[in-house]
Order: sequence, then C-alpha cells, then structure tokens
Amino acid sequence: MKTFKRLVTARELPVFIALVAVVLLAGIANPSFLSASGATDILLGVAIVAILAVGQTFVIVMRHIDLSVGSLIGFTSFLIGDIYAQGYGLMAGLGAALAVGLVVGAVNGFLVAYLQLPSLVVTLGALYIVRGVFNDYAFGRTITAAMVPPEIAWIGLNRLGSIPYLFIIGLSLAIVSGIVMRRVKAARDLYAIGSNPAAAELAGIPVARRVFGAFLFNGALTGLAGAVMLGRFNAANANSGLALELIVIAACVVGGVTIAGGSGTVWGAFLGAILLQAITRTIGALGIPQFWQQAFNGALIIIAIAFDKYLNSRVKTTTIMGSKDA
Amino acid sequence: MVLSKPETGTPVLEMAHVAKSFGGVRALVDASLTLYAGEVHALLGENGAGKSTLLKTLAGVHRADAGEIRLNGGDFHQGNTRDSIDQGIAVIYQEPSLFPDLTLAENVYVGRQLTSGGLVDWAAMEKGAQALFDRLGVSLDPMAKARGISIADQQIVEIAKALSTDTTVIVMDEPTAALSSKEVERLFSVVRNLRDQGSAVVFVSHRLDEVFALCDRMTVMRDGSTVASSLISETSESEVVRMMVGREVSELFPKLEPKIGDVVLEVRDLSLAGQFSNISFDVRAGEIFALAGLVGSGRSEVIRAIFGIDKYDSGSVTLLGKKLPAGKPSVSMAAGIALVPEDRRQQGLFMASSIARNVAVTMLKKLSSWLVLRRKHEESTAAKWASTLQLKFADLSDPVERLSGGNQQKVVLSKWLATEPTVLIVDEPTRGIDVGTKAEVHKLLSQKAQQGMAVIMVSSELPEVLGMADRVFVMREGEHRGTLDRSEADPETIITLATGGVMSV
Repeated sequence: MKTFKRLVTARELPVFIALVAVVLLAGIANPSFLSASGATDILLGVAIVAILAVGQTFVIVMRHIDLSVGSLIGFTSFLIGDIYAQGYGLMAGLGAALAVGLVVGAVNGFLVAYLQLPSLVVTLGALYIVRGVFNDYAFGRTITAAMVPPEIAWIGLNRLGSIPYLFIIGLSLAIVSGIVMRRVKAARDLYAIGSNPAAAELAGIPVARRVFGAFLFNGALTGLAGAVMLGRFNAANANSGLALELIVIAACVVGGVTIAGGSGTVWGAFLGAILLQAITRTIGALGIPQFWQQAFNGALIIIAIAFDKYLNSRVKTTTIMGSKDA
Repeated sequence: MVLSKPETGTPVLEMAHVAKSFGGVRALVDASLTLYAGEVHALLGENGAGKSTLLKTLAGVHRADAGEIRLNGGDFHQGNTRDSIDQGIAVIYQEPSLFPDLTLAENVYVGRQLTSGGLVDWAAMEKGAQALFDRLGVSLDPMAKARGISIADQQIVEIAKALSTDTTVIVMDEPTAALSSKEVERLFSVVRNLRDQGSAVVFVSHRLDEVFALCDRMTVMRDGSTVASSLISETSESEVVRMMVGREVSELFPKLEPKIGDVVLEVRDLSLAGQFSNISFDVRAGEIFALAGLVGSGRSEVIRAIFGIDKYDSGSVTLLGKKLPAGKPSVSMAAGIALVPEDRRQQGLFMASSIARNVAVTMLKKLSSWLVLRRKHEESTAAKWASTLQLKFADLSDPVERLSGGNQQKVVLSKWLATEPTVLIVDEPTRGIDVGTKAEVHKLLSQKAQQGMAVIMVSSELPEVLGMADRVFVMREGEHRGTLDRSEADPETIITLATGGVMSV
C-alpha cells in the first residue's frame, strides 16, 4: 500500500502519463506512428538529449546549471572523427573527448564551487569559449561518414530488435545514474545543497567539493557523449550541438527536475527527454505544421513549472491546516 | 566574575578565555562557558554580547583566536562544522536549517545517511527517524517532505538530528522566538527529557521567564566577555537583567507622559472571512494603542488589512477624515501610515543591500532629483537615523545581513520613521531582540508618540503591552473582547479576555 502510494505521488508519474497519452493520440491519428519503425525513430532521436539530461540533472538538483554542454558535445563529436581521420584510432579520439570534457567540467566546477561565481554566467561563458575554440579548430571543415570510426558508425546504425543501441546506452546510463542519485551518499548531498545551500554547509557537507565533482562528472559525460552524437548523425561540423543545451534543460524541467534545486530524478529527466521527442514526432504524425513544434515544447516547459509550483503550494497548505489541531 | 559552587565531576565542555576578532571588531574578548552533563544551561546576554560568536566557535563555523576549549576533559579539535558534529556538538540555530525538498528522515540523517553495503539504506533511516520521533513524543511522518512544516516541528526534527548521533552537547539558539505557548511547552518537555537522559543543553533565549522555568544554571555575557555564571536558583530576573545590561531595570520601560490629541485613524466594522470580524476602534495622535491577544487571534491580520496588504470584506479605514481604499499599501503609505512587519527578514529588509539603502528606500522620491537618487542625501539621512537609534555598525555601506537581530530591527524602524508617518504600526517590535535594544526601541516609540505620532503596536509580550500602551485592545479568535485603559490594564484582565476565561496560560 505504501509503495503504491509513493508510486502514484511520484513526480515522474504525470510525465509518464503524458507520454503515453501523446503516443496513443498520435497512434490513433496516424497508425503508422505506433509501428516498430515509428518507435525506433523516437528512441534514436532521443538518445543524445536523454544522456545529456541525465548529466544535467546532477547539476540542476544543486540549484546550478550547465549551459556549456551543447558546445562541448559538438566539439568532442567533431574531435573523435577528426582524430580518427588523422589515423590515431578510436581510443585516442575517445580519450581526447574525455579529456576535453574533463577540462571544461573542471574549469566550470572550479569557478562555480571555489570562486563562487554564478553557474549561469560561468557556463554561458564556457558555451561561447568552447564554441569559439571549436569553430577555430574546425575552420570550415566537416566530418563526413568516411571519417567516422566504423565501431561508432555501427552502433549508430544498428539495433537490438527494434531498439537502437544508442538508446540502450542512454537507458543504461539513466538506470545506473538513477540508482546512484538515490543510493549513494555523495549524490544525496547534491540534493541537500540544492534544497538549502546555507544549511548544507552547517550540516557539514563538503559543498564546494560536491559542486566541483558534479560539474566535472557532467563535463566528462558530455565529452564522451560526443561519440553518441557522432554515431547518431554519422557526420559533424562546426554547428554540431548548437543550442542543444536548451533542449536538455527543457527535458529536465519537463521531467520534474526543478530549476530551484533540491528535487527531481534522473529518470524523470530521461522521461522528459522522451516526451519532448515524442511530441515533436507526434506533431509530424498529426499533420500539424512543424512550425508549432517549438511553441508546444515551450508551453510544456511552462506547464511543468506551474505544476511543480502547484505541488509545492499544496504541500504547504495541507501542513498548515494539519498543524492547527496539533 | 561570580562563580557558583563547583559541580561534581568533570565538565562535559570547558570553554575558557576564548577571544575572536573579525577585522577590527572584537566579538569575543574573554568568554568562558562550562557545561556539565545533565544540565540545561542558559547563555544570556544582549545581542552583540558575543553569544552567537561563542556558539559558532563551538560549532566549527568560526575558529577562536585565543583561549582553550576542552571536551570531556580532552582536547577539542577546532576544525569545520563537520569536525564539530563528529565530536558530538549539535547546534540548533535560531532559524532551523532543514532541507525542504528532502524527507524528514533524510533531514535527520543528512550528511551521514545510514548505509548498508555502501548504499543509502532508506528503510533503516525511516525506522531510525520514526524511533527518534517516538522518543521525543511527536507524531511526524518520517517520509513526508520537510517543506511547509511548522517551525516548532522543524526544531523537533533538528533535535532528532542531534540525537541520531552520539551528541554530548546540544546548543539551542533562541528556539522559542517563533513558537506559540503550547509549542514552547512541548519543546520544554523534550529538553527536560534530554537533560534527564544526561545531555548537556545550552539554551539561548531573551525571554527570562522561560530561562527561569527551564534552566538549571546560567552564564551571562556582556561585550564579548563572560560576566557571571551561577545556579538559576541563586539569582533573580532583575539581577540577571542588571548583569546583562550593566544598568538598572527601571530604565527598561521609559514610557513618557503622553500628549493625546485628536482621532487620526478610525477603523469601522472591519471584517475578513475566517480572520476577523467587526473590528472597530479609534486611534488618537500621541497615543500608543496596543493590540493584544494570543498568537493566531487575528491581530496581525487586522493591521495587515488596515495597511492594505490584505483586502477586507467589509468595513472602512479612515485616516484624518479620508477613507482609504482596501488592499492598496502604496495609497496607505502616501496617506501617512507605516507598517513595521513582524518578520523583518522576509518583509522588512533587503538583506544584501547596504544599511543606508535600506533606510532610504521608503523615501526614494524625497531623496531624488530628476529621478536620480542622490547618494549623498541617502547617506546623510541614513547617518542621521543611525545615530538617533544608536545603531552598531562598521560602515553604512555594509549589508544589513551583517547586523545583529536587534540592530536589524532598528534599521527597519528607522526606515519607516524616516517617512514621518501619522500612524506607525509595529508588529512585535521587540521579538527576538535583547533587553538593551528593547529599551531603546521602547524609548523611541514613546518619544515618537509624545511628538504626536499615533502608534499601533501588536505584541505578544504582556510586560511590553502593560509598559507601553495607553490603551489595550484585546482580541480573541478574530473578535474584539474588550478595550482597557492604561489604568485598568493588568496581566490577569488581559489574559482573561484573550483566552476567554481560562486564567492559567
């Protein structure tokens, strides 16, 4: 009974219901949407955003934000292809992608955690700096299918049954991260930091170290995710990953990761990413002009925030009424 | 230094001759505090006396410049907050520091969650928290989120947090400041329980009646030094007050002879569903008009309605013969009403802005020319008020959050007094501030009234009501129960009216 109650009150439930509703609606209007290839399309499209949303959740629950992920993943996807094309092999490319991710994450983390600069500004700066370096490095070149390491191309193209490998990578990451966020002490500290930063210091939580660690993790994850992006598009250029950070943050917010910090789960963010992708596809399936897609996503973000606000205010009133007779 | 007869056994905690400076300010000069197991120890002193700094030294927030701290006869390691917690020091701060998004169980174990096999064990934490709540005799759901629970319950969770480890010293910094009398009783029984189980509890409070009801021993601080330490049974309230302020008690309520003038504010049949009904009264120039009643009797709601923060359903508010519209604070302000709210942190101050900016914010128009604020005017106005109110600060450009609670209250007061209102409304003007500052606030209100300002004061402290008010308007459950002149007002009558007949509160 208790488990059931927790399941129904979980913040992820409405996201899941919305997802089912969207898929059913699209399926009724356009039966081909429910076919295996329709689902595969959604899952393939969602992989990158879902992976980045998982990493972003670590940052947002601390009441921080990382806007640099779009530039970073674009840069590392290009880098992996470029290094491979120059004959250094796949592992060298992945190593470089990880290293770049770690450096960007460490710089972001250092400035935010130890110099206490606002993460919005720091990572906005990083967004432009990384994109600038990327543009200079790419200098009009593009990575074509021939330059993509064959292993990455294979993973990007193939699937297990009708589930793309890229989605399986994202799903496994979300499952593991979800358990980490719920069951590992250091990850619980992130929630405490986002919920009440001053109290976190007083409770003896090593706030700076945790903030640094989360940015570092998100940087490393994003750097490696460059391989997923390269596999998905089988190409890269100086515009790869442009404005992707906004979709990632939208997925988190829609999935119940509150921007004010302290609450939300990796699984919610993952579902949010799928929901956004499903809506994008549905709009196509229903014959609504693509023009409306972004407006729908925008409305969904606002609805999600209004919903969270409503949930919080409802909690408050119940306790005030409850404490009267106490 | 007056020392009582030595207790038997080794002290749990000995802080001796602790000194601490911040920049040029000497917060602690020579502070000492000795605690024994199984006692509730009151730490007393005016705001700015150094109590908080001393406790923060113990909590690992600050490091002492000099002095010695010994715990259980051994050395106390002065590190960070984590080190203090690990050594058995639990501090419950004035404003409880819970995590609203986490469950109560996780709040209890935050930073040191229970684990099994390296992973956080939620079931064990739920059980552990439940056992602690049971032991404290409260019914709280360990799996409920902390958001929205009452301050009293938040404190209970903090106490449970303290009990969840091997805590030897529990420090409570003004825990009762925001509690109702029923909640205070519950807290006291919890604290007595802790004492009987052998904990050493440090209790900081400005309410001396509470200190005398609860504590076994006390230490008094003044200007960063410990001035006395003795058994509660060997001292008296007036003696304690004298030690705290270093002056006579008779100075505490300097009520000046009032010069009552014409009616300035008429409140007629004011009603708001569920809050208050048919409230009518007149307030005259030069008068201090007190709204008395228990917490929750509707006093604050009435003044919020008068000022225009909340709309009322029916009735009228007339200032100097002009009817004020409901729900328009800006109009009320312009007409000459000022409200000093109860919760100064949330409603009265811009904590991160400078003292000068906070004082000047209510009269930006007056201090500006051609829409540009003249910084010089701002500073000179603020300086004038700072000296009138004997504000203790390093620089007018310092952010308000660096000031002590009493001094923050003075900033709020000066902000509104600077507008020279016809009617000044103050809600709990001296809650949580020390005796000395209290007297200064009372003196100021009294002076302003004598100069012709009408003052409406909401207060839960009977001595304050009796000492200051020319008339007392008593409310109970949103209704007017009676109005008493200064000559008829005594504690028994007010309590009887406020509680509806029950004399013992």
